Amino acid sequence: MFSKHWMLIAPARCGAEMMELLWLIPAFPLAGFLALAVTGARMPKRLAAIIGTGSVGASAVVALFIGMHFISSPPQGHLSSQTLWTWIEIGEFRPSITFYLDPLSLVMTFVVTFVGFLIHLYSTEFMAEEEGYSRFFAYMNLFVCSMLILVLADNLLLLYLGWEGVGLCSYLLIGFWYKDHANGRAAMKAFIVTRVGDTSMAIGFILLYFNLGTLNIQEIMQRASQAWPVGSTFAVAAAALLLGGALGKSAQLPLQTWLPDAMAGPTPVSALIHAATMVTAGVYLIARTNVLFTLAPVVQEAVAVIGALTLLIAGFSALTQHDIKRVLAYSTISQIGYMFLALGVGAWSAALFHFMTHAFFKALLFLGAGAVILALDYEHNMFRMGGLRKELPLTFWTFLIGSASLSALPLVTAGFYSKDLILWYSLSSEDGSPWFWAAGMAGALLTSIYTFRMVFLIFFGAAKGRVSRKPGMTMKFPLLILAVLSIIGGFVELPRIPIFSEFVKTALPSAKTLHEGLLGEGMQQVIASGVSLIGVSIAYLLFLRAPLNVERFTSHPAGKALHRFWFSGWGFDWLYNKVFVGPFIWIARTNKDDFIDLIYGGMAWYGRFFHVALSLTQSGKVRWYAMGITIGAVITIGITVFL
Amino acid sequence: MIPLHWYLWLSAVVFMVGVAGFLMRRNIIIMFMSIELMLNAVNISLVSFSRYLDDMRGQILVFFIIAVAAAEAAIGLGIIIALFRNKVTAHVDEANEMKG
Amino acid sequence: MTLNDLAPLIPLMVIAVSSVIIMLGIAFYRSRAFSGLLTLAGIAVAFITLFGVQGTRQVTSLLILDDYALFYIGLILAASFVVALLSSDYLEGRRENIEEFYILLLLSTLGSSVLAASTHFVSFFIGLEILSVSLYALIAYTRNELNIEAGVKYLVLAAASSAFLLFGIALLYGETGTMEFSRMSSGISAQGINKGMLLTGFALVLTGVGFKLAVAPFHMWTPDVYEGAPAPVTAFVATVSKGGVFALLLRYFIQVDMHAYPSLFGAVAFIAVASMFAGNLLALLQKNIKRILAYSSIAHLGYLLVAFLAGGVMRVTAVTFYLVAYFITTLGAFGVVTMLSGKERDADAVEDYQGLFRHRPWLALIFSAMLFSLAGIPLTAGFIGKFYIVAAGAGSALWLLVIMLVINSAIGLYYYLRIIVVLYAQPGHSEVSAVSSLPLTGSLVLVLLTVLLLWLGVYPEPLIEMIHRMTMRF
Repeated sequence: MFSKHWMLIAPARCGAEMMELLWLIPAFPLAGFLALAVTGARMPKRLAAIIGTGSVGASAVVALFIGMHFISSPPQGHLSSQTLWTWIEIGEFRPSITFYLDPLSLVMTFVVTFVGFLIHLYSTEFMAEEEGYSRFFAYMNLFVCSMLILVLADNLLLLYLGWEGVGLCSYLLIGFWYKDHANGRAAMKAFIVTRVGDTSMAIGFILLYFNLGTLNIQEIMQRASQAWPVGSTFAVAAAALLLGGALGKSAQLPLQTWLPDAMAGPTPVSALIHAATMVTAGVYLIARTNVLFTLAPVVQEAVAVIGALTLLIAGFSALTQHDIKRVLAYSTISQIGYMFLALGVGAWSAALFHFMTHAFFKALLFLGAGAVILALDYEHNMFRMGGLRKELPLTFWTFLIGSASLSALPLVTAGFYSKDLILWYSLSSEDGSPWFWAAGMAGALLTSIYTFRMVFLIFFGAAKGRVSRKPGMTMKFPLLILAVLSIIGGFVELPRIPIFSEFVKTALPSAKTLHEGLLGEGMQQVIASGVSLIGVSIAYLLFLRAPLNVERFTSHPAGKALHRFWFSGWGFDWLYNKVFVGPFIWIARTNKDDFIDLIYGGMAWYGRFFHVALSLTQSGKVRWYAMGITIGAVITIGITVFL
Repeated sequence: MIPLHWYLWLSAVVFMVGVAGFLMRRNIIIMFMSIELMLNAVNISLVSFSRYLDDMRGQILVFFIIAVAAAEAAIGLGIIIALFRNKVTAHVDEANEMKG
Repeated sequence: MTLNDLAPLIPLMVIAVSSVIIMLGIAFYRSRAFSGLLTLAGIAVAFITLFGVQGTRQVTSLLILDDYALFYIGLILAASFVVALLSSDYLEGRRENIEEFYILLLLSTLGSSVLAASTHFVSFFIGLEILSVSLYALIAYTRNELNIEAGVKYLVLAAASSAFLLFGIALLYGETGTMEFSRMSSGISAQGINKGMLLTGFALVLTGVGFKLAVAPFHMWTPDVYEGAPAPVTAFVATVSKGGVFALLLRYFIQVDMHAYPSLFGAVAFIAVASMFAGNLLALLQKNIKRILAYSSIAHLGYLLVAFLAGGVMRVTAVTFYLVAYFITTLGAFGVVTMLSGKERDADAVEDYQGLFRHRPWLALIFSAMLFSLAGIPLTAGFIGKFYIVAAGAGSALWLLVIMLVINSAIGLYYYLRIIVVLYAQPGHSEVSAVSSLPLTGSLVLVLLTVLLLWLGVYPEPLIEMIHRMTMRF
């Protein structure tokens, strides 16, 4: 079976054969990972960089070819799947290694490979001084491979494999600088918090398999819509359980606390995993199983509410942070909140669109932040930066473009088009409401304030730090490309020319709009543009013109308390420590010798007891062994003859 | 003609004597002899079955058993001599370095 | 009968002839390389000739070379090949005149192959004895104190168990009037059968076979023999000798439909449960790696018996796949032990492995992979094997046995992980782990086994397909 595919690689033929190359997309990074892992530290840095970056680049090229082919001559039904082999086959349980390509997974694949490639390229310079260079690239390649398996999986088991794979890589990479204990703790926190969601998701998968009797995602969707009426208990339960997994991975309320701490990893990791790709896996999961959520309107409503709340809470927190990466982390949580809001109101393609533009500008911002951090000798505190506009011109301009896109400055930026679409649907969709719209607008205001607070603090004002290193070509190039994408990425979906949603509509149903009359789309765009510009002006007034105003506010007791509350991420860590961690440890301590322990202790005791007892039979004496055989024969005869 | 079960009882008794000797004697040579006794008990029943079934195959198996027993004894004696060289004894209970 | 009718026996003949050639060769010219290469060549040629077996596969009433037999013979030959490769470096310097080792190796391989192909009690007995008698000598081969003790124990107990087996054969022959497996069930259905004698016969055959398979309560010799035998021979005892016997057991009890005798079924179920518990509990705190592997093999044979008890099409697939996985992992694990063993003693204490990862990362990784597979962790062949066994058991509604299997897998995890933890701990001070350099052939074999292990864990389809094809014509 494998050899057949090998033969197909040689000439790049057109037609259906092109789709046969699909397996190469995850295979390249996997091969890269294996090569790097096997040779380990012995591999020269340059070679490690070439292998690590090249493998992702190669899959990006394959993805590009497949994508072009997919668009120019779409396969039947706008989807194609490639089965490599069946892993185990027992009755209905038939998990196969099958990759499934439709517009949804194509967009995800495209973003993962391209942004991934740019970030790998950037890392070759960023990580140049670090120990464990090839280890870094090995993990990164494994991550890209797992992420691709996740988005291309055609059945739940394979999806789960990718899901856990990215979780593992995220853990390894957050704790990449493992010698500092804080990093290890952050990695552990990320792992444990997302595990809560993963468990819920696994239960959801099992529920789906046992009720619908298949692992194939498309068949599940089909059978679910036939077997379960809208609002039925099973549909609600399954959707809610899957939502749990999505919340954990995408750092949404109430499982958002791990993401800010995850910034302990190297900055390219934050860019790739904790901004552009992995954290959006939850969005992907919900979009992929959108049929289930349509069958469970309650849960879908919950998705929207969670998204709206998260985007506001994270927005306020971002406003108060000192650490540049934490601002970006909260901003990521907030932007994924927008995506959830879109999913919740049934604007599936808008969520995917925002995912794409967000991947571009958030990766850009992280990489820019990385360049700044490196330039100032690992300084993370924005209040100790300033005036870097002249020293790092290219970083400044690209960072500015990213910020503009994040703040959704009107007309020219990609973020404007995607966020605008979400805001519009949150109001006009069947499931939308003015409340969602208002939350989205408030969030947009917050976004532009905290974004430009960041820009003004870092690049304007008086210089406070000394620039020790300037980014080289391999760091500048990805910044440039991403800056271009942050602008033109939005033009694929203009109002009235919806190329993007036309493309993905075979995979994601289009949103149903109702309240056409309430507020025209044009009007809402004007308002949104106004809000973002107001935000920028507020930031200008507060942080560049008159920073004293802020200080006066924060020095006031009430302001101070509010600041601290927001700074700590609305006290969720404190709350969870009090509600879950504290009591858990207390129970564990006081209950050290309880009866549950007795069960386990008893099992161990019996295990030891029987071990010792049975060991006595192994006396080493031949005649005793002969007796054993004879007694065994007597027992066997006894059972067979007299039973 | 002597009924079949007389032979079978004989065979069973000889087999039991062999098993008893095998379990009780400590000298490895005597244990080996007991095993031979067990094999010969089997031979008795095979031959008598063969006679009663009027089928030669049972007796053929007896020849194989005799041949194999000889081979086993040859190899066995080699190992027993090696044991004797090491321990200067033919008591099997002395050979219990390994246990647990 | 013409010479042509014997043609299917060519693989077996090749093995026999190569052993004779080596024996004659030694008389003229002693050379380790010559004997070793000839052995490898003989096994390889026999393996190749397996693919040429055609026509009527039944050779007299004694042997049949059907696809099932060919598959198992292939497995046995492959395992012997690995053992021959591993032992060449191991034997060097342990005693003079090591050429005869290969003769014994070939002969016991021949015995095991005969078992896999036999359809008659006579060939069963002959195969078993060729295997055992060569094994006595192999186990005591390097003639140190432990070797000889192990040899004596195996000799005495195996001879006695053969006597039990023969008594069973005699009873079955007397009751059914035939020694052919295929005609046995028609003999049973004839009038005037003494059911008690028949069942006693079955029980005694089970005793003899149970001894060879080292299942409880006939297992007690296993750890001592495993510990005392030279490491490559231990690998041989654990794989080749058990593989042939299990192939025979499966064939016999499929032809004589075991499920027609509920009490016999009960006896095998008892043996399975007893083996699982005895093996896992005995291994729990054991401090000798070879003994741990011995106990673990007892437990694994118990798992195999669960699949054996299941009926239906799944049975042969599950058993065969599990045996393949078991062969690979066992050879790999003992391969690591062989490679690390110094001339003084084998590297069999758990402390010898402390911190192995620090100075021999590759060996430690390979050993971990083998242990993971034995524990049944996903993405290894052991997981797929166990999965099939559980599926086969569940398919036949053997819930109690399946639950026992799951409980025992959990117990087993403890001692496998215990070794893995030791592998990655801080290095201790053991002289064994400081062996200067590893032999190249052995390293290559281990890498190959590991690749195979992971390959079957990720992509088991071809092997499963092969087993399905084989069972269709069974």
